[in-house]
This record gives sequence, C-alpha cells and structure tokens, in this order.
Amino acid sequence: MANVRADLEPEAAQFLATVFPQYDRFNGTNFPVSGLRYDAAADEAAFWKIDAFNYGSGNPTLDIIWQAENATSGVVRWEGAIAAITPDADSQDVTTKAFATATTFDDTHLGTTGKRVHTAQIAISNLDSLATGDAVWVRIRRIGSNGADTMANDAWLLQARLTYSDT
Amino acid sequence: MTLSAQDRFRTFAQFMRTLNLPLTGITKPDLVAAVAATDDWIETNQTSFNNALPLPFRTAASLPLKTLLFCYVAMRRAGRLHADEDG
Repeated sequence: MANVRADLEPEAAQFLATVFPQYDRFNGTNFPVSGLRYDAAADEAAFWKIDAFNYGSGNPTLDIIWQAENATSGVVRWEGAIAAITPDADSQDVTTKAFATATTFDDTHLGTTGKRVHTAQIAISNLDSLATGDAVWVRIRRIGSNGADTMANDAWLLQARLTYSDT
Repeated sequence: MTLSAQDRFRTFAQFMRTLNLPLTGITKPDLVAAVAATDDWIETNQTSFNNALPLPFRTAASLPLKTLLFCYVAMRRAGRLHADEDG
C-alpha cells in the first residue's frame, strides 16, 4: 500500500474568464516566492488537470499550502472539489462536466508573522465515481464572500497537492 | 448622505485589495466596522469641515472638489499621494 501524489503548482493552474486568483511573486530576500493571490472579498477559483494514476480507494487528501499577504489573524475558507471522467466509458461532454459537491475547510491564521506558511488539509469526500486512470479536474477556491472567512487580505496559495491511496 | 451598503462593501473590498500595510490583528469584521465608522464620521463632520475652509474657496468650490481636496490631503498624510515634484 502506498500513496500516490499529484502536485498542483500555481504555475500550472488554469482559470475561467473571470473571478480567478492572480499569479504573482514576492522577490524574497534569498529566493522568489510565487503563488496565486486569492482575493479576500470574492470567490476566486483555480483549476488543475491530473490523471488518477493508480487510484485505489478512499477520500483523496487535498493539501493547500498558503500564506497571508500580511494579515496576522482571521480565518480563510478554502474549498476543494473534483470532477472525474472515465475515458471510453463516460459519454459526458467534457466541456459541460460539473464538479462534485465541494468540501470546505476553515483554516485560522496562526498569528505572529503574516507571511508564515500554513497548511489547510481537506478530505475530498465527494468523489464523483473516481476510478483509476480517470481524467480529473481539481478546483481550489477561496470563499472570500462567506462570513466565516475573516482574514482581511489576499491568501497566497504557494503550492497544493492531492494524495490518495493506491489500494 | 452616507454611502449605501453596497458602496461601503466595495470600499471595504477594494481597500483589502490595494492595501500594502500590515493588518496585524485586524480581521474583516473589524474593517467593515471601521469603514462604516469612517463614513459616519464624514457625514457627521462635513459641515465642520466646510466651515473650516477659507473664503473664497468655501463658496466657490463644488462638493466634489472639496471632497477630493480632503482626500488628497489625507492621502498625502498617509504617504500614498505621489507628486511629480517628488521625482
């Protein structure tokens, strides 16, 4: 038994025409820090395309590695969702495919330093009949419009990963 | 007249987007309340501000001109108004 990992890099994200996080970069003291800037007031979304190589069973885990623009308190409401299509078996038009119901996670800023790195871990429980070899679209969204989201500036997604069991 | 609820929300949202100052210990509910309080304060004190303006500016200037003047001075005080003379 092992876990399979799919990296969801900011540089590889795709977006719809509106309401998407801006790709940006801090020039750090010693290295650049790139990421997707999720707005504090809107519900911005980014998308990745992966294949469910060797998927076995269970809920995939979505890890969102993030930092604040400069806030040191508040909550960020993250949301993860997947859409899975089995090639040759599903007759679904891929351009009209819907996501399974999203799972949300409220991650609280741990304080002290605005740009400290946090992890929000979401167990994706709505699997959209996920099977090994499926073409899978992953959506990561910040629900900035929700009252539970109280962090008062951009949340930077530095990287994300989806992991699942192969058995 | 104070800003509408929508205008206050959009002020709050844009403030969060363009702000480049630390928001240590400040959350969105704190900011929402501060936007409302600032708008209320302007409403309450606009007559006082107008009376403080010297003549002939007070009588000759339009309301938008007076409002913008207030904003320019405040922006300069906050270090956010760059003048050509600053180089």
